[in-house]
Amino acid sequence: MRDLFLHRDLIWHLVQRDLRVRYRRSTLGLLWTMLQPLLMMLILHVVFSHAFRVELYSYPVYALAGILFWNFFSQSIVASMNSLRGNAAILSKLPVPKAAFPVATVISGVVNLALAMVPLLAILIVTGHPLSWALLFLPVSILLAGLFTLGAGLLLSPLAVFFSDVVELVTVMLTLCMYLTPIFYPMSIVPDQFRWLVRFNPIRSILEVFRDPIYFGKIPPPQHLAVCAVVALVALAIGALAFRRSSDRIPFYI
Amino acid sequence: MPEPVIELEGVSLCYRLAKQRIPSFKEYALHWVRGALTYEQLWALRDVTLRVDRGETLGIVGRNGAGKSTLLKVISRVLVPTRGRCLVRGRVAPILELGTGFDYELTGRENVFLNALLLGHSRRSIEERYDAIVDFSGLGDFIRSPVRNYSSGMLARLAFSILTAWTPDVLVLDEFLAVGDVHFLRKCEERLDALKAAGTTMLLVSHMAEAIRTHCRRCVWLDGGRLVADGTPDDVLERYAGANGPPAVTPAPVF
Ligand SMILES: Nc1ncnc2c1ncn2[C@@H]1O[C@H](COP(=O)(O)OP(=O)(O)OP(=O)(O)O)[C@@H](O)[C@H]1O
Ligand SMILES: [Mg+2]
Repeated sequence: MRDLFLHRDLIWHLVQRDLRVRYRRSTLGLLWTMLQPLLMMLILHVVFSHAFRVELYSYPVYALAGILFWNFFSQSIVASMNSLRGNAAILSKLPVPKAAFPVATVISGVVNLALAMVPLLAILIVTGHPLSWALLFLPVSILLAGLFTLGAGLLLSPLAVFFSDVVELVTVMLTLCMYLTPIFYPMSIVPDQFRWLVRFNPIRSILEVFRDPIYFGKIPPPQHLAVCAVVALVALAIGALAFRRSSDRIPFYI
Repeated sequence: MPEPVIELEGVSLCYRLAKQRIPSFKEYALHWVRGALTYEQLWALRDVTLRVDRGETLGIVGRNGAGKSTLLKVISRVLVPTRGRCLVRGRVAPILELGTGFDYELTGRENVFLNALLLGHSRRSIEERYDAIVDFSGLGDFIRSPVRNYSSGMLARLAFSILTAWTPDVLVLDEFLAVGDVHFLRKCEERLDALKAAGTTMLLVSHMAEAIRTHCRRCVWLDGGRLVADGTPDDVLERYAGANGPPAVTPAPVF
């Protein structure tokens, strides 16, 4: 922990490098990161908005909020796994705090998610969705999403050093998780016997705290918020502990 | 009153080599289910006890595979020992292998920042020292071209300039002094003397007896992961040179 703080300038440097690769290397990069979720939203809109017209009055907004959250979550996890793998040579020859790499990756994901609020706002305006003061609550939601994702990233990223096929494995699991999270469908269409699966999915609670201000224009109710905060902090604690236990072994696997 | 900076107590380090190559989780799971996971243990360090005081300069000699680099990695806090205790007080600045921490696509300038940040320095203190670093490296305009165009000597210059722009508590150099040219070596020596005067403890691995003699007041000999001699450089180097024992280079694996 203290080591990470001492290396804060390094972490910030890594974040900047990450963002630069994402946005500057190609002018298309900027357009693409914004365009991809919008395209996805459009497709989902065409396919599903009729089906969900009763439950969801403004489907594109609902779907886009879900997509942006999910992109952040899944991309950050895969990227933090690759960040340890990609810097393995450094980790086995320099005394850097190993967590600096996944931490920087998740931070750059958070910055990216914050930037994605711009096209989201545009969609809100275009579709005539009411703009609410609750939108100002989003930084808190994004922070909680960041802490949760960091926990997951810390838990999973050392595995990518130990085994070469774990990244693909995790990618498959993530797709599975995506269907268990109400990202592009409303909770109410889930059949009763499977409802618990979705209800007790911790990712859902993080997602809803992110989506409530956008879609319902309300600050999430305190009990949701409390559950979300607990979920995020527990995830972070588990991730940090697991990382501490396994990080000493990382240099031996290179 | 000598003040210990490095204290190793019964340090042993074991590299675990899987007998089967297990690169994937799938194979790992399969082997685990069958109970067929066996490892070959390679003890690269065995029961090493060593104390180095503040301001001491210690040379480390030994044959290829004796465990010298492993010992330096333990002291640099890169590897955690399997057994024993390793206590190092203060900041360690290591060059364990030339070129680590450099991004070959970036320019020398960008690499100064990257490398120093990896060593844990703040951006501000790097900016303060940047000119001095470039000046000492003697790279001139080359600092603006990508590091992939550098010769290994130039890379060594840059790495050393960055490393010694700050005064570390412990300086660790693994076979570093072999690549620089005479001019740079002389500058290095001056810099090392200055650091010594400032109280930096130095650890030097070298296959060149001369380098050890000029820089070190004390020398240890590692063989098969064990410390077999500890004394003045003249003494230890003589015994080391005289020992042309069995050709077994690697420590015997223990099963
Ligand atoms: N990453 C590793 N994985 C497995 N075994 C290793 C690893 N690194 C070193 N070893 C083994 O540990 C032993 C000690 O290696 P080390 O690199 O410390 O030797 P050395 O004294 O630095 O040799 P040299 O003079 O060639 O640099 C050797 O037998 C080597 O095979
Ligand atoms: Mg070596």
